[in-house]
Amino acid sequence: MTSPNNATLLQVEGLSKKFSVAGRWPWQKRTLSAVNDISFSIAPGETLSLVGESGCGKSTAGRMLVGLTAPSAGRILFEGQDLSGQTASQQRAMRRRIQLIFQDPYGSLNPRMTVGELIAEPALLHGLADRRSANDRVAELLGLVGLAKRHAGRYPHEFSGGQRQRIGIARALAVEPRLIVCDEPVSALDVSVQAQIVNLLQSLQDRLGLSYLFISHGLSVVRHISHRVAVMYLGNIVEIGPKAAIFDQPSHPYTRALLAAAPVPRPGARQASVALAGDMPSPLDPPSGCRFHPRCPFAIERCRREIPALTPGGDGRLVACHRWQEIPAFQANAPGAQHAPKTTRLLALYRQAAANSNSRMSSN
Amino acid sequence: MSTDITAPQTANPAGIARPHLLRRLSRDPLALIALIFLVAIVVAALLAPVLAPFDPYDTNLRMRLRPPGGDHLLGTDTQGRDMLTRLLYGARTTLALGFASIVVGSLIGTSIGLAAAFYRRLEGPLMRLVDILLSFPSILFGLALAAMLGVGMDSLVIALGLSAAPPIARVARATAASVMQAEYMDAGRVIGLSDGALIRRYLLRNCAAPIVVYCSLQFGETILLAAALGFLGLGLQPPTAELGSIAAEGRSFIFLAPHVSTAASLLIFMIVLSCNLLGDAFRDLTDPKLQR
Repeated sequence: MTSPNNATLLQVEGLSKKFSVAGRWPWQKRTLSAVNDISFSIAPGETLSLVGESGCGKSTAGRMLVGLTAPSAGRILFEGQDLSGQTASQQRAMRRRIQLIFQDPYGSLNPRMTVGELIAEPALLHGLADRRSANDRVAELLGLVGLAKRHAGRYPHEFSGGQRQRIGIARALAVEPRLIVCDEPVSALDVSVQAQIVNLLQSLQDRLGLSYLFISHGLSVVRHISHRVAVMYLGNIVEIGPKAAIFDQPSHPYTRALLAAAPVPRPGARQASVALAGDMPSPLDPPSGCRFHPRCPFAIERCRREIPALTPGGDGRLVACHRWQEIPAFQANAPGAQHAPKTTRLLALYRQAAANSNSRMSSN
Repeated sequence: MSTDITAPQTANPAGIARPHLLRRLSRDPLALIALIFLVAIVVAALLAPVLAPFDPYDTNLRMRLRPPGGDHLLGTDTQGRDMLTRLLYGARTTLALGFASIVVGSLIGTSIGLAAAFYRRLEGPLMRLVDILLSFPSILFGLALAAMLGVGMDSLVIALGLSAAPPIARVARATAASVMQAEYMDAGRVIGLSDGALIRRYLLRNCAAPIVVYCSLQFGETILLAAALGFLGLGLQPPTAELGSIAAEGRSFIFLAPHVSTAASLLIFMIVLSCNLLGDAFRDLTDPKLQR
């Protein structure tokens, strides 16, 4: 299967999802616009992260890619072919190339099937293995995700969260996908295990040339794994661009607020105070104009009326803001200068102690 | 962290872990007695041709309505047939009838329940139909069906099965609806499983335990209904030994020879009570919230 255009594996154009929600009375139908006209592309071997608050539509976008939710509008082109305009069998063959890794490793594995059955099932279904070769394939896949062959006879409940996530990854890999949608794959795991899974995903990408759509709200993980980042707010992409551009010089006020809100594990680190006031508005009743304007510290009258389009904003990024050029440059985590003298002294002592213990550890 | 997981390899994928369950059942003396009684009755009923001292259809009018004792351990009935023999054969018929009916009922009920949970479109029509069926008392429903379908084993099984199905459908739908929320259903869809495979391998396997437990509770109910239909004359026809009809036959002589009706009724009572006790115990044992 060769794609006509090698530069893009997946092209998403104007994808939207509107849910019909019952109002107070059965005949009062309201529309919830979960995803609103988003476009992006993913190159082979690339990781695009989709970040945003919960409820911003990032999971819905991922579910549309794997076919769990039908889009209301827009096109999904995979290897240059439209996913929707296909016969059922063609669609199944193409869907196989896009797999999903779930957030909850406890809920996403059928508890009544052994690990071997779980991993062999998709391969058998798509004719990538027969009954005889299935065992070898399972052993190979288990090895690929860092589990042992003997684990195949066990049930999911006998494994820890991190191991279950490995099983989920092996299951996704069983059908030889080219793109894996990772829907918050590490959010439900312990921090120590998160790193293992992220590293596993990265090494699999190197070995198999996979592309990832990495959906997450954990910015440190996103920073570690992505090549490009798209920031979503209330169903829209507000900024998309290379990782360095987004993290070092965020242009959109929402991206800034998101980065500023991420905790920094360093005492004395002061947060730039761009903290957002209020909650995200309901997608049932989105604000006029720029959807971010009610919470934006830089909002002007124009933001209330006009919907900003994604426009090129330097460093290869696209940004949807009327004022991104006017607002002051982003100051990431300015070092604290305004502590009380005593606090400053204590923090200095703490840093010294930390430095000592570090050097002791490295000398060992 | 990726060291050996030495979890015991006792997990049973088929729903109820049997040895485990029996061991815990032994802590509930009442349920244990019920289990022993039921097993004994089932074995006795299965071996009725071997165990029975007389022929169940051999009438002897000179020996009619003899009290218990002597040659006839439990006396004789209105036709002079041996009561013990009649009861063994009666239990055989009634248990077979109840079992066949609960199998039919659970097949129908589970299919309706799973379909309603899986295809949300069908949920309204199917479950409203079940509601309508549930609004009739099951005895009335069974009576109407038995009268409509005529007498005979087949039609009786259909009538009893259909009246057992609605509550099973409700339980199946409720269980399946919660399983449908699980992420592994989505996981099955993403790898491209067909609806049939999803229902069989994912939905049914994960709903089986509660449905089986509920069916064991319904079993007693069905036997009671079978006996009631027999008592009312809509069950199997006279020469056939059936607990309900044996109780009915002895009714006219209740003061003259109380043992006929009493023995049959007592046996029905014991069987149904045991089924209920056992079903209750099963439910408690499979409910993780009630486990100690």
